[in-house]
Amino acid sequence: MVGIVIVSHGAMANGMLDAARMIVGEQEGMLAVSLEEMEDVEGLIEKIAAAVEKVDTGDGVLVLVDVFGASPFNASARLTLTRDKMDVITGMNLPMLLELAIHRQGSSLDELVKIALEAGPSSIKTLSETLKSK
Amino acid sequence: MPVFHVRMDNRLIHGQILVSWNSAFKIDHIIVTNDKVANDPLQVTLLKAVAPLNAKVSVLTIKDCVDYCNSPEAEKENIFILAKYPEDGLALLEAGLKIPVLNLGNQAFVRGSQKISNTVFLTESGVKALKKIHEMGIRITCRMMPNDPDTEYWPTIEKTLPQWAKSD
Repeated sequence: MVGIVIVSHGAMANGMLDAARMIVGEQEGMLAVSLEEMEDVEGLIEKIAAAVEKVDTGDGVLVLVDVFGASPFNASARLTLTRDKMDVITGMNLPMLLELAIHRQGSSLDELVKIALEAGPSSIKTLSETLKSK
Repeated sequence: MPVFHVRMDNRLIHGQILVSWNSAFKIDHIIVTNDKVANDPLQVTLLKAVAPLNAKVSVLTIKDCVDYCNSPEAEKENIFILAKYPEDGLALLEAGLKIPVLNLGNQAFVRGSQKISNTVFLTESGVKALKKIHEMGIRITCRMMPNDPDTEYWPTIEKTLPQWAKSD
């Protein structure tokens, strides 16, 4: 099963993991890593690398990060470029994580990337537009 | 003035730069400058990949950065320089960059560094570099965000780390 590591500024990553547990239950091979205010990118890379090692069963690892170009992304990207079977998705949201949790069993890394790229944007809607289309 | 801001930030291009600074100023060109980073193809590729829509990103050695900023080409641009450490800031000035203010951004904890605030940890060599910068008559500020106060930061460094800030 593909491992999942969630990386964010501050407590968001742990919060997403906590929220996901409430909805889809305890998740195997899924870890959160947060960037603290006083931390540098090199230290963050080490923390992400340790988490990746823990969740990697040989099927690869998908890293979800909050903001494109920010430190959690930069650190994950630098690590990914030195490893096989790893990818990074930015702009993560909870519906995206839930879809990944549901489809992890039996899906390859490439398949999960497609699922995340579809689930993230399609989960963003306004109430007014949703009511109009009914 | 082509170079309107120089920031020493060991996270280089990251969230605060892309979101806060990039929306507060009209930045045409972000130059990341640090000799080690400029010679690491992996980091150069990534830094260029996260360039915002409005600005181009270059990753240059200290010498190439100063040469570019003093060239006619730079005259037309609004340049934001991102150096990694205080030592890089000093090297920029010594290589001939003309700028009245250097801003200290994030300086994360590294081995041997001492805390000044939650976001600024300085090494002895960093403090010595900042002292030289101060003695050159350059104003040192410490602004994480564009709306942080523009106050002179050297007295805080001197007061917090007197063992490194005092004269040799």
